[in-house]
Amino acid sequence: MAQSGSGKKIANNLVTASCAGVLAVYIAGYTRTQHAAERFTAQIAERRPVVHDPTMPPIPEPFHSPERKAEHVKAPAKPMPAPVPAETAEIPPPDPPVANIAPPAASPEPARRAETAPVAAAPKVEETPVPPPAPVWKDGTYTGWGYSRHGNIEASVVIESGRIASATISQCRTRYSCSVIERLPPQVAQRQSPDVDYVSGATQSADAFYGAVVAALGKAK
Amino acid sequence: MGTLVTIHVVRAGAGVDDAISRALGWFHAIEERCSRFDERSELSRLTAQAGRPVPVHAIVYEAVKFALMVAEESGGAFDPTVGHRMAARGFDKEHRTGERIRAASAPDDGVSYRDVLLDPDRKTITLRRPLTLDLGAVAKGLAVDTAARELEMFTDFAIDAGGDLYLGGSNEQGAPWSVGIRHPRQEHELITSLRVSNQAVCTSGDYERRAPGGEQHILDPRGGASSPVAVASATVVASRAMLADALATAVFVLGPEEGIRLLNRVGVEGLVVTPDLERYETGGLRHAA
Repeated sequence: MAQSGSGKKIANNLVTASCAGVLAVYIAGYTRTQHAAERFTAQIAERRPVVHDPTMPPIPEPFHSPERKAEHVKAPAKPMPAPVPAETAEIPPPDPPVANIAPPAASPEPARRAETAPVAAAPKVEETPVPPPAPVWKDGTYTGWGYSRHGNIEASVVIESGRIASATISQCRTRYSCSVIERLPPQVAQRQSPDVDYVSGATQSADAFYGAVVAALGKAK
Repeated sequence: MGTLVTIHVVRAGAGVDDAISRALGWFHAIEERCSRFDERSELSRLTAQAGRPVPVHAIVYEAVKFALMVAEESGGAFDPTVGHRMAARGFDKEHRTGERIRAASAPDDGVSYRDVLLDPDRKTITLRRPLTLDLGAVAKGLAVDTAARELEMFTDFAIDAGGDLYLGGSNEQGAPWSVGIRHPRQEHELITSLRVSNQAVCTSGDYERRAPGGEQHILDPRGGASSPVAVASATVVASRAMLADALATAVFVLGPEEGIRLLNRVGVEGLVVTPDLERYETGGLRHAA
């Protein structure tokens, strides 16, 4: 890259460069598969406004479930179309309301929310509080990669009798030692809090490992 | 990316379903092209063609271009070619052998962001030698930014992509969005909360959720040995998530003082929390009451 005269000039350029870069990408646009467009539109059209239920307690989650969302919407009435091979996003079944939601303010139109499941290859993982029948995977050992800003992690998942027997880290390509990650007890980032609208940041290691396990499970279907 | 994305539009006007659909579509489009794990992705195919210019889609070109700018400005603390070096003699070896490596070192093969060349006229990328390009945070931030553009017409909205946020306008109470910053050591607690409007907020945290047993080390992409962790959490507030994301990672490696200096130089706001819970922040950060 060409160097500008002074350091300050380069530094200021980062802010304008990020705006310019985003604009360039936006203008270039992208080709969207018909499937993706139809799926999202169908899901969104059936969402209902959030219902605030102060009597529902927060629900603890096992390590291998996707993160809870504080805002929830009702299930779509019809099943989702099967994803095309290259398409990986799936929208998870909805969660029930939890206690720590701020009630939506009265407004002329309802707040609209849309969610999508992990963008990397992901199986459809059930996550309702009443235990549903657990998904059955094909027996075997599967690996998958998960991303974190500190590097990537490969998980190795062993399926026995259709259930997850173990999930371990098989490759540690991170700037941190993965022994730290493995010492962590199962935990899920709780991104919602009663005091704020949103919480920044997610548990880095849980995300990476979780993403890797999800990717591995995607091969075990 | 493995990211759960939530989009919240405060007042759902005409066309909102279409706009949300397009916004979510950006995450897919960018992930498809920038995924390191999918060998069919444009990024993966690029890394397999060292030595010659490869034409790429604007998504890949702009993401790489921006990553290189941040690498340059941060003196290599942020480096999209770092994945290559974290593999061989880094913590992966420790992980395989079980032997605790006190201070991992990266292989000294000289690969760095300087090995990636751009041709702005032809929009091609040339890798001077085989290397692994990892766009990670930049791609995720870019997806948040393009998604935000789709929702601009609704003024008041929020995007949460796995903890990377963009907050447009005001929340449902008509006030600037309040954003909590996770306490780096106390589970379920916030260390502070900020008031944000028309800004992205990205936080980079370390792996420790409680006081570590021994000193934790981190591999510095600028080469050589690892160094003790100096940052438990780095938050950046900027007008674009692509910028906030990349800088949060850079600050992590740079440490609190150099990190805040970088943020001041660039002209964005941020907060750094050390493992001892000392805080360093830029001058314009707006805390919630």
